[in-house]
Amino acid sequence: MRNKILTVDDSKTVRIIVRKAFKSYDCEILEASNGVEGLAVASKEMPDLILLDITMPVMDGVEMLTRVKADPQLKGIPIMMLTAEGGKDNVLKIAKIGIRDYIVKPFKEELLIEKAGRIIELKPLTDAPTKARSIFDAATILVVEDKPAIVQQIQAGLKHTPWKVHGVSTQGEAMDFWTRTPPDLIMISLSLPEDAAFTLFRLIRSNVKTKYTPVFGLVVKTEAGPQQQAQTVGFTTVVTKPIDVGDLESKIAKAMNLDTSLRYFKIESEMLVMRLPENCGPSVLAELSTYLKPKLAEAVDAGNNKAVIDVHPLKSVHMGVIKLLLQTMQTCRELGVQFALVGNVHLIAECKGFEDTRNWVFHDTLENAKASFGSAAAPASAPAAAAPVAPAAAPALASA
Amino acid sequence: MPAIQEISEQLIRTNISRAVCDVFKTMLNRDSEHGITMHEGVAASWPPLPPDGEAVPQVVGTVGFIGDANGLIYLYLPQAFAQLVTCHLLGMTAEELEEAGDEVINDAIGELTNMTVGSFKSGLCDAGFPCKLTIPSILRGSNFCIEPISSVQRFIYSFESSGYKIVADILMKAGD
Repeated sequence: MRNKILTVDDSKTVRIIVRKAFKSYDCEILEASNGVEGLAVASKEMPDLILLDITMPVMDGVEMLTRVKADPQLKGIPIMMLTAEGGKDNVLKIAKIGIRDYIVKPFKEELLIEKAGRIIELKPLTDAPTKARSIFDAATILVVEDKPAIVQQIQAGLKHTPWKVHGVSTQGEAMDFWTRTPPDLIMISLSLPEDAAFTLFRLIRSNVKTKYTPVFGLVVKTEAGPQQQAQTVGFTTVVTKPIDVGDLESKIAKAMNLDTSLRYFKIESEMLVMRLPENCGPSVLAELSTYLKPKLAEAVDAGNNKAVIDVHPLKSVHMGVIKLLLQTMQTCRELGVQFALVGNVHLIAECKGFEDTRNWVFHDTLENAKASFGSAAAPASAPAAAAPVAPAAAPALASA
Repeated sequence: MPAIQEISEQLIRTNISRAVCDVFKTMLNRDSEHGITMHEGVAASWPPLPPDGEAVPQVVGTVGFIGDANGLIYLYLPQAFAQLVTCHLLGMTAEELEEAGDEVINDAIGELTNMTVGSFKSGLCDAGFPCKLTIPSILRGSNFCIEPISSVQRFIYSFESSGYKIVADILMKAGD
């Protein structure tokens, strides 16, 4: 449920500044221009936090505060003073009535957010809540690692992505960085001196801007202690060194909740093309498997009932790939989608070696596969007509 | 309780300089790189507006303080600067501000004055002169002067920001 914040201030300017400060967070801002209005809104809406000015006409902040604290229904609502009334004695006097915090104007919006974030849960709003972010969108990744070679390895490995990887080597540099540019993901070496990784993690989680940012731990595979500690305190995941960059990329996409389907599925010439990458590790197969049915259903819904399964880039066939392809063919049949396979000579030879795959019919190019739909009215239950790389008109796959 | 006469010119100057600089630097979120810099207040003579009759439209915010120290502070801002400041404060463009009207500028300058005087009077409270703020009000015009009655001590300081002159005109009631 969205948090409600009530700002009670006779200055419209302050109410606008408060609204502006919280606009990137999932909360509702309620307004009142004096203590009387403030009490009425508080009773009706039961806000999760009240920001209260002191000098106001009709009823000032001190009286409103006193009345809130005397009301059994309202007294539990945390109140933070936001006022130009400073002075030690004044602050102490008001603090005794019962407040959670006190900000003296002038104030920075960041300070207001930070202090409010200590009292209520402030969840940042995503930029585009209705549209999932895609693998092709830019993102900022901060790597806190005192070994430059590791930072370089990550930067080189993710070079083909639109993600910008920034390396820093100390806790102070990291904090400076995220204050200026809140990153989309943070990786921290668990072997930084003096347990700095865990101190940083606590700071990240206590900062409103980075509270929900995914945090990866980086550690050598054999260092079981830090790995366990990272998992216990709540690191999103632990990436072991030497880093498998392909796996890291999948983990990043998953942690940032990115739509990676466009990497594998595309609509071309009114056909769905599913393309397997060069290396199909467990994380890639899991992604493909997750997207498979929704993507095929989406294609059918849009009137595209032909699919090309392109395994041409694949280096080698293994059980995971075979299972995925069987699942794909089965889903195509269930949805009434005609399909054709594209492969390379090496893969076709490998497929001949498995009972389940020896009868698969492959085309040598995407164009031939696409053309096959036109030349032969292939039934939805079988791969489309044969191509030169499958000299024998092999029968369709026996069973899924 | 210290006597009101013990509030020295030095204390007033220090407090008003700190208050004006803090408020403008904090609320405008600007550093020197972006052009808004505050220069320490310097004592200026009466009248606070240019004596040569140049009709520079001003927006003047006023907030008083009452208690063991009593007085009023007028904060003079050239209208063009008041508009600039309001845009910064509220995240509005000049066009949006134009559409919103003078009421928005009045409220913003009133609040800036409230913060400035609040900060000034916190210094007085901490020096042993507890007092409370009054509600802000705004005065607009291009050719006017505010004249105090004789029992009032007057201190005028000028500041500079982005080439604009800001004047703080402090009227303190002399001790009873």
